[in-house]
Amino acid sequence: MSVLEVSDLSIRFGGLQALQDLTLTVNEFEIVGLIGPNGAGKTTAFNCITGFYKPDTGKVVYRGQDVTRTPPHKKAAMGFGRTFQNVGMVKSSTVLDNLKTAQHARVQYDVVTGLLGGGRVAAEERALEAKADAILELLGLTEFRHLRVGGLSYGTLKLLELGCALATEPDVLLLDEPSSGMGPEESHELGERLIELRKAFGLTMLLIEHHVPLVLSVCDHIYVLNFGRLLAEGKPSVIQTHPEVVAAYLGGEAPEELAATAETPEEAALDEATHPVAAKKAPAKKAPAKKAAAPRKKASS
Amino acid sequence: MILAFDPQQQLGQPLVLGVIEGSVYGLIALGLVLLYKSNRIFNFAQAEFGTIAALTAYFGYNGKLFGIPWHMPWIVAVIVGIFLGTLSAVLTERLVIRPLFHQPKVIMVVGTVGVLLASIAVEYLVFPTGGVAALPSVTDVGLHDPAFRVGFAGYNVSWEQVLTLLVLVAMALAAVAFFRYSRQGTAILAVSQEPTAAATVGISISRVSLLTWTLAGFLGSVAGIVSIGGAPLLVPGIMTGTALVGGITAAVLGGVTSMPGAFVGGLLVGLVHQYTQAFLSFPGAQNVAVGLVLLLVLLVFPRGLLGSET
Amino acid sequence: MTAVAAAPAVSPWRLSGAGLAARGLAYLGLAVVLFLPSFATDFSKTCSLAVIYALMGLSLNIVVGYTGQLSLGHQGFLGLGALVTANIVAQAQLPIWLAMACAVLATTGVALVLGLVALRITGLYLSLITLVFGSAISSSLFALARFTDNNSGVKIQRPHYLATNGDWYLVCVAVLLVVFYFDYRLTVSKVGRALLALKENERVAEAFGIGVTSYKLLAFALSGAIAGLAGGLYAFRGELYSEKDFQDPNGFTLALLFVVMCVVGGLGNRLGVVVAGLFFGLINELLDDLFYAHWVHPWMQHVPVLGSYYSSDVKASYLASLIGALLLLQTLIFNRGGLGAQLRPISRWMTGHRFELHDATHSGPAVAEGSSVRA
Repeated sequence: MSVLEVSDLSIRFGGLQALQDLTLTVNEFEIVGLIGPNGAGKTTAFNCITGFYKPDTGKVVYRGQDVTRTPPHKKAAMGFGRTFQNVGMVKSSTVLDNLKTAQHARVQYDVVTGLLGGGRVAAEERALEAKADAILELLGLTEFRHLRVGGLSYGTLKLLELGCALATEPDVLLLDEPSSGMGPEESHELGERLIELRKAFGLTMLLIEHHVPLVLSVCDHIYVLNFGRLLAEGKPSVIQTHPEVVAAYLGGEAPEELAATAETPEEAALDEATHPVAAKKAPAKKAPAKKAAAPRKKASS
Repeated sequence: MILAFDPQQQLGQPLVLGVIEGSVYGLIALGLVLLYKSNRIFNFAQAEFGTIAALTAYFGYNGKLFGIPWHMPWIVAVIVGIFLGTLSAVLTERLVIRPLFHQPKVIMVVGTVGVLLASIAVEYLVFPTGGVAALPSVTDVGLHDPAFRVGFAGYNVSWEQVLTLLVLVAMALAAVAFFRYSRQGTAILAVSQEPTAAATVGISISRVSLLTWTLAGFLGSVAGIVSIGGAPLLVPGIMTGTALVGGITAAVLGGVTSMPGAFVGGLLVGLVHQYTQAFLSFPGAQNVAVGLVLLLVLLVFPRGLLGSET
Repeated sequence: MTAVAAAPAVSPWRLSGAGLAARGLAYLGLAVVLFLPSFATDFSKTCSLAVIYALMGLSLNIVVGYTGQLSLGHQGFLGLGALVTANIVAQAQLPIWLAMACAVLATTGVALVLGLVALRITGLYLSLITLVFGSAISSSLFALARFTDNNSGVKIQRPHYLATNGDWYLVCVAVLLVVFYFDYRLTVSKVGRALLALKENERVAEAFGIGVTSYKLLAFALSGAIAGLAGGLYAFRGELYSEKDFQDPNGFTLALLFVVMCVVGGLGNRLGVVVAGLFFGLINELLDDLFYAHWVHPWMQHVPVLGSYYSSDVKASYLASLIGALLLLQTLIFNRGGLGAQLRPISRWMTGHRFELHDATHSGPAVAEGSSVRA
């Protein structure tokens, strides 16, 4: 059964058509990847799906319910968990408080009871804390429990942000570049972790990712965006060989993504095995393609 | 409440008074815009520089200043007043704005609130007898024909008012010209738009900031001096009480970054003020009207009516 | 500001019996100090004002400290509370508590309207709106003849069982304690976490399921309600409602003083704000006492600027606002945590922690609050 169904989503900012007729489906327990060069509209798509932007046309359907115009905080309560490209957390709070804040929609007392206080509120606060601790332990972040978020390193923050998203008790998790700031090793670990989390929490995930090996290894299905339009979709093996995708990546702004496939030996080997052509061609075409891309970028902006 | 319609009283008089009052707002707004451009803050102490200047001028001319009866000539008193008003702006920049340069803007704004509060308190201590009397008008000290009046729009305008208006308009034009044509003026604009780039081409941000505050202090002081002729009472805090809200509204009407816009905004606010006073008689009607204008502009035209970054 | 929750897990230190007794004594001492002024007729009236200022500090702190919006018109809420209370008691002869409840309703309603504006206009522009709000409401509504008993001021009387100034002072203290408790509950419940998240980043807050609209409105409503309560207490403190107290320039100075209290106390820091409020409420009286003391008066007259304190129309409040302004600038430039940060070791000790001047292991949002204010 499909958890999330997005159909014909379009949004325009002034003269820029940021998204055009985006249609995608995320099925139960799937990890779906959303990739594309910078400025392709991936984050815009996320913002439309989670309700931060109101799309001009199109529909977002969550488990049979039209949620196109539902505001983001209500979507969070329905089960949309999300992370942000530039780390979305309350920087001046501690790690623990962030995880408690993230559980806002799950808190079992109302505002007035909270202001009055009492045993029930105290018990609920303890439960929130226990949940937060469980998440910290799961992610191996317990040592940071009392630290201010503002002072943590970027990689830790990204992981912690994932923890916060988990604390919202999501049904579908939308992750915006979860591996940014991580090395190849760490992002490989992240991939395994995502698969574990899916199993542990029964999650469905939609994932924006620049780190192509990670996408290829964890995603069940991939959508490729370019200039706000859907360029291709399919299983990772299909996407890898898709000529237009390869062209878009090499002609676009971020050729290093595919080049990154050669960075770790085992991943390079994997690429080589499944798809020798792309892996070999990529580095060779890199330099001239970049030059060719420059005027195109200008025309689009 | 309106007993009979009298076009001269209700149309002509507010027009004249509104333009004069409005140009004071415009001058305050010019200073506010200037500081907004350079520091991205609203200076809540802007109007109070004017009170300092006015009180100093009054007591230098006609009373005791620091315990000494100076009996300054009128023009000297005015210059000393403007000097002290400007000096207070310079001190504000050095002692308050500079240390808070890299803090969040709201902290800097609260800093100017502190300056305002301190200024009012110091005024009470330095001018303890309070300027209960009205200030000498220009007609008393300068032009010897108080009876001479110009007919305008069915209303008699005094020489004093004409002179006030001329001074205000001249000041506004000078300020605009300064930014268009002088090197310092363009440096200020450069810093306000691209601080890092301006620094790399050798413009000293610190000097420009000081210059901006000096100019703003000067504009505020002139506004204070010219508006006291019409003020019934000269007490500490008077300019903040009478002109700050109008000046702020004018600046916002003009889009906060446009200097001509600020002055025109000032005229509009002055007219709104005077016409509400003429047609509505419940207490505080003018303040409510100006407040509604501000609210409306912010809600409907958040970038101001006349505004554009110049 | 005492986030108790997590600390025991961090330090193995435990509260001993003697420590408990010492803290008990400290609370007893505090209670006695709070109670003592009620015996002095004039001084208890001053102390009532101090408590009302502390309440206003808590009210403004919700807007400035918790939601990060600068309000320069809070004297409008205080005045509205006083106006409604006094007029209901004088004109409708309703019981005092009902009148105060109406005042709270009125200020909450007006605060909600301002909150609606704050949804659209934020940051520095909102501070302009609040500035205009304060001066407009005090010069118009407050001055209407029907609300001011034809400009002579509305005279009211406290009920016979609360006739003395001392009685009323105790009422004020009780209200302050209750509000203080609710404010504490606010910061340790989901409401406080939601407001902090909103203040820092609205998008993150929304992603966490926090409704921006409802929580912003809630913050303004709570702030307005507390100010309305303070206004009711104010009206009965002097048994008179006079619009002049809230009109410019008095009103404007008052609004700025409230901001000063919040900043000097430490933004978002409940205890600091209350102490700063009490300080600024008392300072006028204390300054008068100091300046007219027989060992100060003779030589103070000859100090250049301060000597003018003795001339007829300089009020102690101006010297107080000078002190306030200097403290404000001092806090902004050198000590952004405010008074609350200084008091923190004591407040932590009082809530059953070890006395430490620099608590490295502290938890909770307290330290963060003072130092993060956004436009």
